[in-house]
Amino acid sequence: MNGVHDLGGTHGHGPIAPPAEEPIFAHDWERRMFALFVPAFGGGHFNVDEFRHAIERMDPVHYLHGTYYEHWHHAIETLLIEKGAITREELDAKIRQLKGEQ
Amino acid sequence: MSHDHTEPPADIELRVKALESLLTEKGLIDPAALDELVDTYENRIGPRNGAMVVAKAWSDPDYKARLLTDATAAIAELGFSGVQGEDMVVVENTQDVHNMTVCTLCPCYPWPTLGLPPVWYKSAPYRSRVVIDPRGVLSEFGTSVPDEREVRVWDSSAELRYLVLPERPDGTEGWSEAQLADLVTRDSMIGTGFPKIPADIQ
Amino acid sequence: MPVVTKDMIPLIVKTGASGRAHGDAAPSFQVGDKVRAKNFNPPTHTRLPRYVRGKVGTIVMDHGVFVTPDTAAHGLGEHPQHVYNVAFGGDELWGGNASPKDKVYIDLWDDYLEAVAP
Repeated sequence: MNGVHDLGGTHGHGPIAPPAEEPIFAHDWERRMFALFVPAFGGGHFNVDEFRHAIERMDPVHYLHGTYYEHWHHAIETLLIEKGAITREELDAKIRQLKGEQ
Repeated sequence: MSHDHTEPPADIELRVKALESLLTEKGLIDPAALDELVDTYENRIGPRNGAMVVAKAWSDPDYKARLLTDATAAIAELGFSGVQGEDMVVVENTQDVHNMTVCTLCPCYPWPTLGLPPVWYKSAPYRSRVVIDPRGVLSEFGTSVPDEREVRVWDSSAELRYLVLPERPDGTEGWSEAQLADLVTRDSMIGTGFPKIPADIQ
Repeated sequence: MPVVTKDMIPLIVKTGASGRAHGDAAPSFQVGDKVRAKNFNPPTHTRLPRYVRGKVGTIVMDHGVFVTPDTAAHGLGEHPQHVYNVAFGGDELWGGNASPKDKVYIDLWDDYLEAVAP
């Protein structure tokens, strides 16, 4: 699809500005999100092409503003719901439950 | 516009926790498996692996020949293989060609040899620019390549993963593989930099 | 659905999941052939970036047979075919806005390419 992810040759994204060093994961949620990929994939819920396409289907602004592991979060949450492994309702209920506990 | 440090939605942490929690309750994932994965990629797999491959290629011409012919098998000889490195190609820097790697579409990266990619590699500025202005990208990294040399950018749009074999620095005759590996930086294996020289580490 | 447990992780990490496909698809092209990347614009998944569509390059490697993402992403099967590495000149891709000295070498599936007279 001709999505904004198809970045080769586009202009205006600003400097690369590579830092000398950086941690592998910026936040603990990134660690968990990274790790969720293998069991979700290994469990046969989706293949790598579906995963990439789920990222491509993100809202363009969300894609460009979002970080790498936010993309992964979007893709895995979307695919698990589309494939029926979980439902939107039970995920929202879990989010409300955890929020209540905070 | 700064791109590295956009804050994610405030509730992302909660949503990730909810996803993990729900999947665990449904018996679809094992949290101990997640812990093991994090430990593997945060502490045990990293660019030191690729550096050892490069050091061996610099020291052993037969190994280098195998690496350039069948990189997957040669890299596996050193015990590195697997996820996001199942099909490897090694490309050699020479006096005529300087290689760089990118994945403009997603981005993909050779995990078994380099570990997880840095943020800049995954972000829009690098992915968009390196295919159209590779020398401009190199100068952002403080690197330059002679005008006569071809800059060859490899876009890993399929499942092959590319690793750059940098040129061996001068003044390293007789060095052991372990010493040579200390010179090999992650960026030299992506192509945005060169290896260190002996003066850098003495 | 199998559940991935902690003890399975080392083997999974070490083995991975190659995109190579089993199947004897015949290659349409050989190393050295001049090819043009097709200009197609599907709303569905593809790994043919816009910047190479319609451009002419040269086959430099034949990587063998792999799963096709365009079909696999949509439940339409593996459709195994050859994947090639194709070299494009900077001037071919970008016109006068890039050096002809510099090149992009990109991996493309057989279906993405059409023959060009030598």
